[in-house]
Amino acid sequence: MNEIMNKQSSSAATLRDNADVAEALGRTYSAGFITKIEMTGLPPGLDESTVRAISAIKHEPEWMTEWRLDAYRHWLTMPKPDWAKLNIDPIDYQAISYYAAPKVAPKSLDEVDPALLETYEKLGIPLHERAALAGVAVDAVFDSVSVGTTFRKQLAEAGVLFCSMSEAIREYPDIVRKYLGSVVPTGDNFFAALNSAVFSDGSFVFIPKGVRCPMELSTYFRINAQNTGQFERTLIVAEEGAHVSYLEGCTAPKRDENQLHAAVVELVALEKAQIKYSTVQNWYPGDENGVGGIYNFVTKRGDCRGDDSKISWTQVETGSAITWKYPSVVLRGDRSVGEFYSVALTHHFQQADTGTKMIHLGKYTKSKIVSKGISAGRSSNSYRGLVKMEKGAEGARNYTQCDSLLIGKKCGAHTFPYMEVKNPTAIVEHEATTSKISDDQMFYCRARGIPEEDAVSMIVDGFCKQVFRELPMEFAVEAKKLLEVSLEGAVG
Amino acid sequence: MQERTLCAMHFPANPIAHEVRSYRSCRVETMLKIENLHARVEGKEILKGLSLEVNAGEVHAIMGPNGAGKSTLGNVLSGREGYEVTAGTVTYNGIDLLTLAPEARAAAGVFLAFQYPVEIPGVNNTYFLRAALNAQRKVRGEKELDSMQFLKLVREKLKVMQISDELLHRAVNEGFSGGEKKRNEIFQMAVLEPQLAILDETDSGLDIDALKQVAQGVNTLRSPQRAFLMITHYQRLLDYVVPDFVHVLADGRIVESGDKSLALKLEEHGYAGIGASHPAGAVA
Amino acid sequence: MNQPASLPLVASLLDAPLPASGLGWLDAARRENRAAFAAGGLPDTRVEAWKYTALRGLAQRSFGSGDAAAQTRAVDASTLALPGVAGVRLVFVNGAFRADLSSLDELPAGLSLQPLSQALLGDAEPLRFALSRHYRDVGDAFAQINAASASDGVVLRVAAHTKIELPVQLVFVGAEAELAWHARNVIELGAGAELCLVEQHASSGQPTQLATLVSDIDVREGAQLHHVVLQDAGIGANLFRRNSLRLHARAQATLHVLELGGALVRHDLRAELIGDDAQLHTRGVFMPHGRQHIDTQLAIRHQALNTTSTSHWRGVANDRARGVFRGAIVVAPGADGSDANLSNKNLLLSPSAEIDTKPELEIYADEVQAAHGATVGQLDERSLFYLRSRGIPLAEARALLTAAFCRAVLDDLPNKALREHLSGLLIAQLPA
Repeated sequence: MNEIMNKQSSSAATLRDNADVAEALGRTYSAGFITKIEMTGLPPGLDESTVRAISAIKHEPEWMTEWRLDAYRHWLTMPKPDWAKLNIDPIDYQAISYYAAPKVAPKSLDEVDPALLETYEKLGIPLHERAALAGVAVDAVFDSVSVGTTFRKQLAEAGVLFCSMSEAIREYPDIVRKYLGSVVPTGDNFFAALNSAVFSDGSFVFIPKGVRCPMELSTYFRINAQNTGQFERTLIVAEEGAHVSYLEGCTAPKRDENQLHAAVVELVALEKAQIKYSTVQNWYPGDENGVGGIYNFVTKRGDCRGDDSKISWTQVETGSAITWKYPSVVLRGDRSVGEFYSVALTHHFQQADTGTKMIHLGKYTKSKIVSKGISAGRSSNSYRGLVKMEKGAEGARNYTQCDSLLIGKKCGAHTFPYMEVKNPTAIVEHEATTSKISDDQMFYCRARGIPEEDAVSMIVDGFCKQVFRELPMEFAVEAKKLLEVSLEGAVG
Repeated sequence: MQERTLCAMHFPANPIAHEVRSYRSCRVETMLKIENLHARVEGKEILKGLSLEVNAGEVHAIMGPNGAGKSTLGNVLSGREGYEVTAGTVTYNGIDLLTLAPEARAAAGVFLAFQYPVEIPGVNNTYFLRAALNAQRKVRGEKELDSMQFLKLVREKLKVMQISDELLHRAVNEGFSGGEKKRNEIFQMAVLEPQLAILDETDSGLDIDALKQVAQGVNTLRSPQRAFLMITHYQRLLDYVVPDFVHVLADGRIVESGDKSLALKLEEHGYAGIGASHPAGAVA
Repeated sequence: MNQPASLPLVASLLDAPLPASGLGWLDAARRENRAAFAAGGLPDTRVEAWKYTALRGLAQRSFGSGDAAAQTRAVDASTLALPGVAGVRLVFVNGAFRADLSSLDELPAGLSLQPLSQALLGDAEPLRFALSRHYRDVGDAFAQINAASASDGVVLRVAAHTKIELPVQLVFVGAEAELAWHARNVIELGAGAELCLVEQHASSGQPTQLATLVSDIDVREGAQLHHVVLQDAGIGANLFRRNSLRLHARAQATLHVLELGGALVRHDLRAELIGDDAQLHTRGVFMPHGRQHIDTQLAIRHQALNTTSTSHWRGVANDRARGVFRGAIVVAPGADGSDANLSNKNLLLSPSAEIDTKPELEIYADEVQAAHGATVGQLDERSLFYLRSRGIPLAEARALLTAAFCRAVLDDLPNKALREHLSGLLIAQLPA
């Protein structure tokens, strides 16, 4: 079961051995290796000179430096967030290094450090074009920098721009300037402001008018260096009638300290455009005693700016010590559609507070929310969502379904939906249930010969089916296995 | 023949698997031997000294009034939690069945057709069945079936059982009618090929056509290697699946045993008075 | 940010003459709560429990506390009568007990009933537990005001294993003057006791007032409480009610609430199911219209084994009104066998009205059945069409279906006469 992340490894025999050993040791985080590579970076600490230094390293134009500094100054004025359901030790923002990169900057994929390529291979990411049989274009971000984007040529022929954010700022400054911060303003929230000031890299996608992106686009994020925060920034713009499906995967090595990840993702869909954004988040969750793990504070927002546009978020969240994340959609265009499909699994001492916001502004806009939370161990798993029907949201509709499954007696499952309705022709419906796996279901499976742990993952998989259906095929398989791994040791 | 090869194989140190394999591989005269079985549910004694022997190839019907302990017997044999055995033994192919986990019993060839089959939303019927079959095969040291092999097997069984393959595409028992649920149980039995099948009120809630279909399925699966324990309240199932032995269960014990004529007698006179006229110890 | 003490409201509320001053523990409690309120002031909308109810306007007003003329305010007692409710009655006018309007003459055996102002003059010790609470949270501002300033209310006890046949009616009237009043109820049902309590809020004239009412209700082992609330306060009323309910083993409480009146109305129900097999059933309708703001907050905690709660609430908002609902269910660790169900359905009848609803589940035990649902929408089109196809005009069909929508949650109110009366009031408030 532990081979998932290593599935691309060459030797099946070693893999089997590893899996057996891992199994014997109980639940392990299979992406928890550390890559030995020469790193360069900024010392820990944050002030205006740090922001200027990052901007300088990236050879950014003046306007970008100023944009960052504005965000930084705003951040200084903002109170540190205090969330009711999260139990967080205070974060020392001066102890974090805001930039880390492999020492030798790669110019092309062929120059990428072999140790790095190996890392991505261990993760099962077909980074190297020769190995990229999966037909998915990949941008990979290692600590702070993008280490290579595959399939650039094929994409360029279709007119699709897919590159790292640093490159986009240099190469396509007009597009970046037009859209960056237009969905998530620099002062939107504490972590978005921090990200705007210090983001080091991320992915940029631009699909021009009428183009259907010929392949799935994908970014893998990995935090490797110690005491490093990862602050990536992703911007996806789909012009009129454009379609794109984008996948994002995340891992980090096992370390005893908590590491901070504060990303911002902005999506813009113009008239009749469609963006599908899928995430499998498997940051290191900390060990069974709650030591270590990633603090995952992410701002993801989509703007259905044009009529008849559609933005769909699908997420499978199994990692991170703490997750704080509400991928949202602003339904501005008439008849635009927002969707949110989520599976969040927490185990041991993990805490997840996740959900979505659907802000209906346009006429006949529609949104659908399906959230499945699974709590095990001593973890805490909350759904927090907002559905807002503004005055102009004539005939708008929302349907929300929120189910929680409890495995064990020491975990918590919570549901906090907010519904604000100002239009008398809008319809909002919310349903939620909380239950445990029934003894009857367990016994039925066992009476057919299925061992307890398998029965649990089978039932959990059934519970999550509605969400897995929304994932691209390869991701669905990975997500399912990830759940199995994450649930190991949850029973008995 | 499978059993023979198994005895010679080397097994890793998995005690349950080893036990399961060893009794599958050994020939014992009596398949199931229940002696003086006492069991409690929620602190209340339901089985009060039940004894019964079942050999391969036999079909036994257990009849009795409501509350006699019929379903308790099925649940105790398949290892349901909350059924506490306070005395007595159950030996299955020479080993102590009561110590095994439910899945180990299933792997050992014990199958319970549930009175109320459970709905499992989101879990596909085919997927479920393949997972069950492969889990059992794995414990027995047999090679797991890949999806093509499994599909072939399933299609054969569907044909034999005269069941439409539409059943396969749905979630386990979800939205099934009463008849469909019971037929699904029999279909599972056909695929899993148990040695000892316990049918718990499989006839309840079925109309006559559904009953005939279920009975035909059971008859198809009768074989010299397989034994059936049919738990039923009514005689009518026995018109279609003719038992070798009929036992009357009353107040937690078997109070009378006979051939199928006993069922007809019960039909005529009912259960009233049976427990009273046959004091404990009257069992042959 | 605001300097709380500088707000007119805060300054105006803290100078009332109070009964039983000189009683050490009571003085201390009043002092503590007064200090807490003076320091914290009113919560703003960043306080989660007040997210949808802004108090800025209220904070700028000032109200004198208490009414020296309460005993002489003109109130027509006949308007206070309710069908199906003919027993003991206590009437409070601007927070002060009015013997002349009350009927306490024939107390049934096992029922002890006294105005708080009198109870405090006798042996106050039994009230010590309830009245010496210190509210510290800024969200509890109105409980702080109440604890600091309440001058009267009801002390009610039902002896163990006593069934009180006739309902006990408590009436709170806001009359004429622009002022603030604060009332405190302490209610206890002994083991196995039974009581129907009808709480009524009414007005005489339409004065602008600030009123707080805090009730502590203990329902002991196996006791049964039926609590009916008819809130029909005047259009100038700013009314803050807080109801703390404790249910012991096998206790049962049902609550039926009809919220009609007031300008700014807030109802906090804090129910704790602390004994095994306790049951709570709440039903309610809130119907804000005009510029009314009605906020209902349920917090139900399951803390013992096999406890059950069901809550069915309906909201209808018209004109420029706003309806707010929060239904929080907490299942504490170890509260296995809890069964909790909550639904809140709402109709929005006007483009300027608003509904904000927030059902919540917080679950810390696994042997649990918990579900909630909430909807905001309109009448079912198919039902409307069906009625019209039978010849009922559209407006009438709407009224009929809206009334049915609201009445559905009052259906299980056992007192038929009272149920029909509430139903009539509800229909009268619907748009024609």
